Amino acid sequence: MMDILVAVLTACLILAGAGFALVAAIGLNRLPDIYTRMHAASKAGTVGSGLLLLAVGLHAGDLSIFARAIAGFFFFVLTAPISAHLLAMAAHKVGYRLSSHSTRDELKDYES
Amino acid sequence: MTAADVILSSAIWLAFVILGIAFLMTVWRVIKGPTLADRVVALDMLTGIVIGFIALIAIRTGFTLYIDIAISLGLVGFLATVAFARFILSDGDGGKAPKPDIARALLTPPPGPRRKQAGRRSAGSRPAVRRKAGK
Amino acid sequence: MITFILSLVFAVIWVAVTGSATPHNLIFGFALSTLSLWIVRGEMNARGYWRRLGRILSLLILFFRELALSAWKVAVLVTSPRMDLKPGIFAFPLTVDRDFEITLLANLITLTPGTLSVDVSEDRRMLFVHAIDCSDIEATRRDIAQGFERKIMEAFR
Repeated sequence: MMDILVAVLTACLILAGAGFALVAAIGLNRLPDIYTRMHAASKAGTVGSGLLLLAVGLHAGDLSIFARAIAGFFFFVLTAPISAHLLAMAAHKVGYRLSSHSTRDELKDYES
Repeated sequence: MTAADVILSSAIWLAFVILGIAFLMTVWRVIKGPTLADRVVALDMLTGIVIGFIALIAIRTGFTLYIDIAISLGLVGFLATVAFARFILSDGDGGKAPKPDIARALLTPPPGPRRKQAGRRSAGSRPAVRRKAGK
Repeated sequence: MITFILSLVFAVIWVAVTGSATPHNLIFGFALSTLSLWIVRGEMNARGYWRRLGRILSLLILFFRELALSAWKVAVLVTSPRMDLKPGIFAFPLTVDRDFEITLLANLITLTPGTLSVDVSEDRRMLFVHAIDCSDIEATRRDIAQGFERKIMEAFR
């Protein structure tokens, strides 16, 4: 009974993680400019791989392995926003345009 | 084979298919991606998807050592993205001009005689780019 | 007494992380955590340590709730057939002024629904945030100021 519960929980985590990865990939293709694409990649993508790692920890059913999986999860969650922020800053400094849907760009007003 | 095994292995197969589709879509963005930054974002995403693949393989084979591999791949991917961001900051033409669409370049064979001309033109424009970067 | 309980907790975590539940390892972990707690004893006795710990934990919980919500929101947005986007970059006036707090706030903003921090101004007064939905900027600003920024101030001041 217990192992079925663990298996169902792990399966849910796996499918949710894969689903979020797929959503991030769809977003990467559908969204209009680099900044909006970064939203999809940094949020949905991180959550996707994080959930899959958690599934490994849960499936192993060992505290030390679970702790390692949690550590990996935290690592991904903490590094993803840093790389996204750095890329966005670099892209804006170098002068990539926002898409034509955009309503405002106060950073540009500030710099000029 | 118990019920738990059946549930788990079918979920893993389904997840493999989903991740595969996601992987191909992200690769499409890398190929298509009009600017350099788009490609970097897509490559970052690609690392995330590969980490997902590694996690699935860890569950399937039972080797939990794969977690360490996933963590180190995440570290490498993070450092690569940071390095790419620095590269974009110091990019010669500022990355403003969209890079040529690799997909189109691959699909349409370039006409023979023009090729030489294009090569000469790009060689001529290079010093201009350098001068801009040095400023 | 508090130090003793804390070192016991840390020793258990040490055993979990190193993955060998032998008495030797437990004693070693206990010694190690006592040593590290002794090193930071000055910080520990600062006022309201436990209250602060509770607030940091509540910040962590808020963060994970927002992360789940933001992934879900992006998913809904991306899979909806007609994407109705109003992206843009807006300026957010900072109340926190220490580098560490600004970094934390920028990270938290990146992982909240529909916002991504882009840059911070030279004088550290403004944070520039890219939002995927810029239709109601005042509400977004208020959310950040009264959610994350207030919690960060409570936890680290």
